[in-house]
Amino acid sequence: MSRQDTMLATVERFKEDFDLFPTANDKLEYIFDLGKRHTTLPDEEKTEETYVVGCASDAWLVGECKDGILLLRGEGTSEMAKGMLTLLLDIFANRPVEEVLNFDPAKLHDMGVVELLSPVRQQSLEAFLKMVYGYAHKCKEQG
Amino acid sequence: MSTVMKIENIEAKIGEKKILKGLNLELEAGKVHAIMGPNGAGKSTLSKTIVGHYDVEVTGGDITYKGKSIIDMDPEERALEGIFLSFQHPVEIPGVNNAYFLRTALNAKRKHEGKEELNAAEFLRLMKGHLEMLGMKSDMISRSLNEGFSGGEKKRNEILQMLILEPEVIILDEIDSGLDIDALRQVSEGINKMKDGKRTFLVITHYSRILDYIEPDYIHVLKDGEVIKTAGPELVPYLEEHGYDGIKED
Repeated sequence: MSRQDTMLATVERFKEDFDLFPTANDKLEYIFDLGKRHTTLPDEEKTEETYVVGCASDAWLVGECKDGILLLRGEGTSEMAKGMLTLLLDIFANRPVEEVLNFDPAKLHDMGVVELLSPVRQQSLEAFLKMVYGYAHKCKEQG
Repeated sequence: MSTVMKIENIEAKIGEKKILKGLNLELEAGKVHAIMGPNGAGKSTLSKTIVGHYDVEVTGGDITYKGKSIIDMDPEERALEGIFLSFQHPVEIPGVNNAYFLRTALNAKRKHEGKEELNAAEFLRLMKGHLEMLGMKSDMISRSLNEGFSGGEKKRNEILQMLILEPEVIILDEIDSGLDIDALRQVSEGINKMKDGKRTFLVITHYSRILDYIEPDYIHVLKDGEVIKTAGPELVPYLEEHGYDGIKED
């Protein structure tokens, strides 16, 4: 996915992708499919600080700030976490921090999949977002 | 003439019955070759022999594809190399989703060619474009492979596979059987879309009807397990009028 896209454009692209699938199951399977692009973190980056508290399965998210750009890398352990992380990192990672802070997370519902997630998975998403916005605020403070 | 496939003195049997008896045929790259002949001449056995179908036991001769013998290759290897057969009677596979089946086949081929695999969304985008062109309903995506498909739907699905896999040598075994005029037109449109001057077609047919839609470059008449005549498309009206018995061997 091109990094030239805005976050909103990336959400729109995912919406178009998910709309191709006729059933909820197919849409969820596409999330697993996205997980094939999932990358891992070196062990030394999997710390208490990077652990996504509240995620249904073990997951870590590393956030860094470089020249006003929020750099994010993550690793999930379940198939769903791998897929969701891949999807969410496509949307949130390597964006200007202002864009991340101005992005309304409710827009994620436009993709038509958030509501298909189980309540536990929705909590995982909230946990991920909390961590992303935490990193984003820190990045902004650093100037 | 640039030959893509050469079939030399091929002898083959199904069970104990010897069907191909020293058959010779050269396929010119980028051309449409029609194989015509009476029932039992060996047309379908020829197509099965080319793709390495397990029904057929080759007892002599050789087939070279792009200069390399394929006679000892497994069917899947031949498919990965770009040889495609549209079955006369496509099989139904309950429980195997049509889209999964096609994507798995395409990604196996892409992997073989050193290309990146398509994800499900990229594949569906590709598939939907072809479905529309073939006049196929979008529920074909999630239905089991050929299960409960009408004769026309099965043949359209074969063409869908061909369009997606983009093979180099395309064997169409009686693709016109069981098709009404509209389906025949759509199937032919799909086939003609693949004609790019590089792909080679082997159109196996009883009747000349399909050749009104897919213009052949060569007509090969098969009789009793051998090619007895090769000519240009002018042979078609002659066959229509005189039948196969009127053909004099080359």
